[in-house]
Amino acid sequence: MTSVPLVSVFSADDSTKVTAKHIPLPAVFQTPIRPDIVSFVHTNIAKNRRQAHAVNPQAGMQHSAESWGTGRAVARIPRVSGSGTHRSGQAAFGNQCRKGRMSLPIKVWRRWHRRVNIKQKRHAAATAVAATGIVPLVLARGHRISQVPQIPLVVEDKIESYEKTTDALNFLKRFGAFEDVQKVVSTKVVRAGISKQRGKKYRVRKGPLVVYFNENAKLLKAFRNVPGVEVVNVTRLNLLQLAPGGQLGRFVIWTQSAFAHLDKLFGTYRYASVLKDGYQLLRPLLTNPDLARIINSNQVQEKVQPAKTTKVLHDVQKKNPLKNTKAMDRLNPYAKKQRAAAVAAIKANTKGTKKIKKNKALKKASKAAFNKVAASLSDATKAAVQEEQDIKVKYFSVQKGAAQAE
Amino acid sequence: MSQKKPQMQVEQKVPENIVKKSARDTKLREAVAKRRTERLAANKTRRAQWEKTAQAYENEYKAADKNLVDSLRKAKTEGGFYVPAESKLILVVRIRGINTLNPQVRQTLRLLKLRQLHNAAFVRVNKATIEMIRKVEPYVTYGYPSRAVIKNLIYKRGYAKINGQRIPITNNNIIEQSLGKVGIHSIEDLVHEIVTVGAHFKEANRFLWAFKLRGPRGGFIAKRRSFINQGDWGNREDLINDLVKRMI
Repeated sequence: MTSVPLVSVFSADDSTKVTAKHIPLPAVFQTPIRPDIVSFVHTNIAKNRRQAHAVNPQAGMQHSAESWGTGRAVARIPRVSGSGTHRSGQAAFGNQCRKGRMSLPIKVWRRWHRRVNIKQKRHAAATAVAATGIVPLVLARGHRISQVPQIPLVVEDKIESYEKTTDALNFLKRFGAFEDVQKVVSTKVVRAGISKQRGKKYRVRKGPLVVYFNENAKLLKAFRNVPGVEVVNVTRLNLLQLAPGGQLGRFVIWTQSAFAHLDKLFGTYRYASVLKDGYQLLRPLLTNPDLARIINSNQVQEKVQPAKTTKVLHDVQKKNPLKNTKAMDRLNPYAKKQRAAAVAAIKANTKGTKKIKKNKALKKASKAAFNKVAASLSDATKAAVQEEQDIKVKYFSVQKGAAQAE
Repeated sequence: MSQKKPQMQVEQKVPENIVKKSARDTKLREAVAKRRTERLAANKTRRAQWEKTAQAYENEYKAADKNLVDSLRKAKTEGGFYVPAESKLILVVRIRGINTLNPQVRQTLRLLKLRQLHNAAFVRVNKATIEMIRKVEPYVTYGYPSRAVIKNLIYKRGYAKINGQRIPITNNNIIEQSLGKVGIHSIEDLVHEIVTVGAHFKEANRFLWAFKLRGPRGGFIAKRRSFINQGDWGNREDLINDLVKRMI
């Protein structure tokens, strides 16, 4: 037997006192959270409260305007007939014309409402109810619930008999729900735009939603003047209230009997719903959503292969082996020996070449010739030559000294 | 109230999944290290093998050269003639672009792997290929490549066709994977197969992508004329090497 999450029912008078300790959570709260279904259903159902509106069918068309045709140096748009006024001869009827009718005038027979499959609507409602029991979602929606003792908040049926708004307010204060009401009050703003002149002056946030069961409950009157608070019977749960704006996670306060009724309304995973004919709660795609645990389990790890290399053959840069020795040696290990052999061959060849011998011989001969000439010079020339040599030596030594000093 | 609270005995418990993960990681690391040592050892033997075969080929080439020279000399001394065997291998270079081509010529060039200007490809010489080349003669120039040119082409411009992709031949694994089963394990083996037009020339040549050469430094003479007529297209026998050296 798997364990079922349990919920406490709180006393209406004292938020610390618990009248029923462990009530099982209705199966609705276990349905998978499907924001995609909710947003789809919400966008369509939100259209169903719309009232038809339309543009006056005669607007812009109450003229006997006719086109002047071609040949009169004016555009061919229909022009107002008659004379004696500025308006005559002006363009009319077209959507581009001043005072003309709009293009595609709105008709009352526009399709205002949308039908949604019943099953989808029911799934959306179930998901929305489930989301009201998830603290991060309720927080993310923007409700101030940090002082609320428990989410989902279930209270004994006593609040259904509240008649006075003061009782309602005190109740909310006791259970930390007043912070949410304060938020609603403090953030009431005048709406931007024309709609403020059309009966929607203020933008008001949503506060807690109080869900009751007994039809004779008086709490509607007690709670309805509290800003932001909405009251609804559990048999008439509305997606537009459970997920306002298509956003999951309304802060909901359940009465005990309403909470208990949820199982009959939505059914459980064992039994189909009683009141929604043939409706069965949505089943999750994953029974165990803990992916980290699944991946690290023995069953998966036994079959896991080592990571494949993502190195691709064509991404290696080609280096020219004829120039790049490393690339060459990688391809042809014998190349190293070939290079060494080539170098050795050159050296061996050049050691006793005729050319070098010839060069050496030439050098020797030229030196001998020079010495002969030098010997036959007169003393004066010798002295002059010597002087030049000395200057050169001095010059170069000075240069050297200067360089060293630097 | 003044008594000190006893120190809580905290056992150092390691979470189960961390223990499992570390055990698994150690096992993987050991496997990787083992594979690495095996791979390195295998590589060593393979490299020794490549070196050996490369040396054997070098000796073979030297012997072939010497044989040619000796034969020529012998013929000269005897007062006769030595005619070396006709080349079994042709290097074809496309010298015309893609515009206004006869469809048959287009198709034949495609069959010869010459899809682009200045593409070069090796072709075995037989009746079938001779006929093909004759068909596309005005659009290509061809001749008998020397060993050095073949080697340089494959080393510098050698790309392989693997899974329909053009992969640079950067190491011998690439050759081993495709041509290992026909006995070509290294780039020197590949060069040897092309040079000697061996038993597996088909596989070796198919393995090679067409060589994409640059335009010749110094230019063509006149592509509109045949080589015989002081132009460029057609058979230029051994002089293909001078051209391709300028195009590599």
